[in-house]
Amino acid sequence: MSSTWREFMSWNKYTQVASRALRQALTETDRVAAEKRAAIGVRYQLWENGQGGEQNYVVPPAKETTPGTPPV
Amino acid sequence: MFARTVRPAVNVARVAQQQSQGMATLREIEQRLKSVRNIEKITKSMKVVASTKLTRAERAMREAKKYGAANNELFKHTETEGAEEQPKILYVGISSDGGLCGGIHSSITRAIKKEMATNPGTIAVVGDKPKAQLARFAPQAIKVSFNSVGKDVPTFAEASAIADEIVKNGGEWDEIKIVSNKYLSAISYESGVTSVISAKALQAAAGFQAYEMEEDVSKDLAEFALANAVYTALVEGHAAEISARRTAMENASNNANDMMASLQLQYNRGRQAVITNELIDIITGASAL
Repeated sequence: MSSTWREFMSWNKYTQVASRALRQALTETDRVAAEKRAAIGVRYQLWENGQGGEQNYVVPPAKETTPGTPPV
Repeated sequence: MFARTVRPAVNVARVAQQQSQGMATLREIEQRLKSVRNIEKITKSMKVVASTKLTRAERAMREAKKYGAANNELFKHTETEGAEEQPKILYVGISSDGGLCGGIHSSITRAIKKEMATNPGTIAVVGDKPKAQLARFAPQAIKVSFNSVGKDVPTFAEASAIADEIVKNGGEWDEIKIVSNKYLSAISYESGVTSVISAKALQAAAGFQAYEMEEDVSKDLAEFALANAVYTALVEGHAAEISARRTAMENASNNANDMMASLQLQYNRGRQAVITNELIDIITGASAL
């Protein structure tokens, strides 16, 4: 019997999803501490024939929409 | 007598030329002195920042080394029989995007070049600086590259994401070799190659056969081992880079101080020469009257 997640993702991705769910379930202070430990800012780029493709974020950064902040 | 009448005119001309030369270089020396002074301030502050970051990076590295030790234990217990044909190797070069850190990135590129000479394979690279160097060396061999790592202490989540991407898009491989900088001390580092166990080798290992396990377990373990190894390499490389940056900035500050001392002496000598020439002008002018 093979788990269903194997069809879609690798083990690393599976644990990432599971740990993200766990982090979101923690109480406030623990959650903030855990989120700091789990920050991902890495970008990747696939190469073909010696040419790099476009760079994508592994975890796209959350877009900040704060219309009230002045530019300076 | 003839010479004596000519001499003052020639003297004045020569003194005027020297004076103009002296004034021009005096301004240049002043500018150089100002710019070197600014550079010294910048390198000194960069060194202080690197020193403070180093303590945190070292602490993270001590914790991360335990992950790597567990990995190596596993690898030791799985011997591989002599390979019939050349195994397909994927080299993972681990460094960062930042500069001004001495020879950190070049040491990774040099290690990969050396390995590729005897055992060619494909390359995955973490960091913009080694990526640029490797793209000049072997662009066809690069399969995937990563950046925006290393600004802060790397997390296991990042290492896991990198490992996941390598497994998804790294192509086919029998063996993975991670090339990273090992932190020897606060002033020295060295590049090293670590092998990561592959799923096939795990399944074939004698110790594994003793247990009844599903096939998937060895694949999962291999992927976890890869994430572990990448994490250790990232954190150790980060610590090595910070210590190298501290050393490089310290050397730069010392060089800047030496330059300032010699420039200052040159400036004083130049200033005194200008004053002396003006005096000569005045005196010869007065004596000619």
